Amino acid sequence: MVIVFLLLGLIGTPADAATIFWHSLTPAQQEALAPLSQQWDNLPELQQRRLLKTAKRYPNLTPEQKQRYRDRLEAWSKLTPEQRKAAREKYRAFSKVPAEKREQVKQMIRQDQDVKAPQSASGIPAAAPLPIQP
Amino acid sequence: MNMNTNLPNNNSRNIAPERIAQLLTRAAQQLDDNTVAALRQARNVALERQLVSKPVFILSTGHDMRWLMPHSTHQWVATIILFAAILFGGVNYWQHSQENELAHLDVAILTDDLPLEVFVD
Repeated sequence: MVIVFLLLGLIGTPADAATIFWHSLTPAQQEALAPLSQQWDNLPELQQRRLLKTAKRYPNLTPEQKQRYRDRLEAWSKLTPEQRKAAREKYRAFSKVPAEKREQVKQMIRQDQDVKAPQSASGIPAAAPLPIQP
Repeated sequence: MNMNTNLPNNNSRNIAPERIAQLLTRAAQQLDDNTVAALRQARNVALERQLVSKPVFILSTGHDMRWLMPHSTHQWVATIILFAAILFGGVNYWQHSQENELAHLDVAILTDDLPLEVFVD
């Protein structure tokens, strides 16, 4: 019995396979993940669990960060797992750049955005991807 | 054999180990051939008995490690469960750490002052 339990644990508990329904989330989780309320029940279970982990940190964010989080949540959830993985690697690589240089790159990106902002109205992406190899 | 040769008068516990070794060597040199042969044979017999009773699990440290091995079915089952529990705990801890790191990164990306598009190809 114990061995069966342990083996099940090693290959993933049965509970891992169940979808987490929107109505079963706590009010705090629903508040953080509100932009995803419509598509939540259809998201893959693994993605739901990861989003719930991010939602756990939501109460500790500043109001500005909360706004960004909610604004970007839908776009983030629509990315493919590979795109999210690539984005994490790019962010991780960017985090390792010395602060001074990172600020310079940010400045360049902001300037680039300002230049391209009028063009974005015509369908061109507003920000260029960060040229950092993971 | 005369083991008292050159022994100092004070308590033998105060004799240095090197001195004892010297005295034993000297005393052994004074043994007759029959005694030496009898001692050698007794030593060989003792060594053979030791080899028969302790054939395995003598590590390079020279200590007998057989006591570490399970001796019954119950002990084997308990050992397997223990190792499985340690493995399970290790895998779970690793997965938990990985998921936490991913959540940390995801929140950082979602709240960074640079737009999301910068990090997405």
